[in-house]
Amino acid sequence: MKEVLIEVKDLSVQYTSEGKEIKAVNNISFQVNKGETLGIVGETGAGKTTTALAIMRLIQTPPGKIRNGSVQFDGKDLLQEKESVLRKVRGNKISMIFQDPMTSLNPVYTVGDQIAEVIWLHEKVSKTEARKKAGSILELVGIPAERGSEYPHEFSGGMKQRVGIAIALACNPQLLIADEPTTALDVTIQAQVLRLMTNLKEKLNTSMILITHDLGVVSEVCDKVAIMYAGEIVEYGTLEEIFRNPSHPYTQGLFNSIPNMNKKVRRLTPIVGLMPDPTEIPSGCSFHPRCPKAMKECKSMKPGNIQLNGEHKVSCHLFDETVVRGRVETNEPSTP
Amino acid sequence: MSTNTQVSNELPLPAAKPRIKKKNPYIDIWYRLLKNKLAVVSLGVLVLLVLTALLADVIAPYPANEQNLTNILQAPNALHWLGTDAYGRDILSRIIYGSRISLQVGFVAVTFSVTLGGIIGAIAGFYGGSTDNILMRFMDILLAIPGILLAIAIVNVLGPGLVNVMIAVGIASLPTYARIVRASVLSIRDQEFVEASRAIGESNFSIIRRNVLPNCLAPIIVQATLGVAWAILSAAGLSFIGLGLQPPTPEWGAMLSEGRQYIYEAYWVTTFPGIAIALVVLALNIFGDGLRDAMDPRLKQ
Repeated sequence: MKEVLIEVKDLSVQYTSEGKEIKAVNNISFQVNKGETLGIVGETGAGKTTTALAIMRLIQTPPGKIRNGSVQFDGKDLLQEKESVLRKVRGNKISMIFQDPMTSLNPVYTVGDQIAEVIWLHEKVSKTEARKKAGSILELVGIPAERGSEYPHEFSGGMKQRVGIAIALACNPQLLIADEPTTALDVTIQAQVLRLMTNLKEKLNTSMILITHDLGVVSEVCDKVAIMYAGEIVEYGTLEEIFRNPSHPYTQGLFNSIPNMNKKVRRLTPIVGLMPDPTEIPSGCSFHPRCPKAMKECKSMKPGNIQLNGEHKVSCHLFDETVVRGRVETNEPSTP
Repeated sequence: MSTNTQVSNELPLPAAKPRIKKKNPYIDIWYRLLKNKLAVVSLGVLVLLVLTALLADVIAPYPANEQNLTNILQAPNALHWLGTDAYGRDILSRIIYGSRISLQVGFVAVTFSVTLGGIIGAIAGFYGGSTDNILMRFMDILLAIPGILLAIAIVNVLGPGLVNVMIAVGIASLPTYARIVRASVLSIRDQEFVEASRAIGESNFSIIRRNVLPNCLAPIIVQATLGVAWAILSAAGLSFIGLGLQPPTPEWGAMLSEGRQYIYEAYWVTTFPGIAIALVVLALNIFGDGLRDAMDPRLKQ
């Protein structure tokens, strides 16, 4: 069994907006082992980014608030620690790659200085040494060190994201959180950046949480996959388990909506409807209004986490034997 | 377990020894400023002014307060290039000495208000909420009174004199800086790179200092150069109405005031100090604009 690096338990985050409570993340739990990559997949607004920010406790308060839960990392609960302790963790042990490289770099400092900043913050080195190390890290992500004395606006988008990766890896973190690192890049650059990230991750034995809505990216990079819907993890398992045997109707819907090269179809099959308004999450299973296999129970009862096989977990009544058997006994045709 | 987490494999850094040259951003700014002809000219005027102020004792043809009652209200001539005033004092010399006072008032007052106003604005903008409300409502109170009137009131309370004029002018322009800094901070605060710097473990203070303030430097600098101009004007105005520097101090505003009785007979007594004020204020304004263009790396070609 591999060593657990970070364990998130019952994490709930909510935002308050105009007096309404928005439940962005509801009681999610997962863990990441050393050297592994967890992919968090979901639609826009599923709570992926909020989860990532909550792990580093970067949620803006107000309006955001971490309701409950714990994040065990390195023997500490990050959600209970003091701000000063967290500052030593951020960028050093857990670091983050942001979605948009255009805006995540400070326009008034050279990129070399920005990389050196992290090193200087967390390691006891002189500024000259930090700058020297920053140059080496730039080379590592494939940018000539001389370009370290240039400003972010002098770089292309893909190169800026490399700089973002360089900043994230500068202190050799144990966990890398990549929040849709390739969304803002075009496809060829996406591949380059992904390859770079996986290579470096393997070299440095870093664990990674990759947040994305691109299942293709997940299949290339991840070891474990968590599918998020409306702030909950609806299905969790290894890459194999999820891709060979997608069980939750939502996951199946996601896979069905990907165009298939071998079949010529006029239309893709999308999941009907939209993500629910986070202020009014439906009762019972939050997916039931869109679910093609919804049953009576789905409306009233929240499905628990059902263990399938291996690490594969799904939160759906279809797999809950008591529900399914109950239907059979009352002679009601179940509609899976 | 704990020993295990300590084992960190070092980054496999490339063998070559690449270096990042520490590039001084101000050198860049300087070169970009040099491309702006008008800014260079106004910078020249300002440098000249500073030199004049520093070397006043050497270059002034006469002592500032030397009266020569046989030579009163002389038109500009070879001995007195800009003429003499009602006491026979050489106007050129008085303008030269007066530049010291104008510069002092301008720079000290602006430094005072930029520092204090900047701190107030940065705190208000960054922390928001009730901190913001209390600080900015206090600034609004100051802003409700016209600047020059506020300065007059403060000088009235403190009494005339160089230091009091600086304090008065500084306090009167405080809300302008506080508001500018706050507005810039608000627009910078929610940018992703601020979040990113929080994600690398920077403290609030360091984020304000390293990320927020440098990004709102451009409007502050422009406002500060304009502010020097305003401070010089205000100080001259205060002296003109008799609340600032007292005679016989050679102050440009006071000189205007003294000369206004003779404006029909001796235009030079008011004209030349007036031109001095106008020139300096104009040069500061143009230079401030040029500096703004040069300092914004996004405008870089």
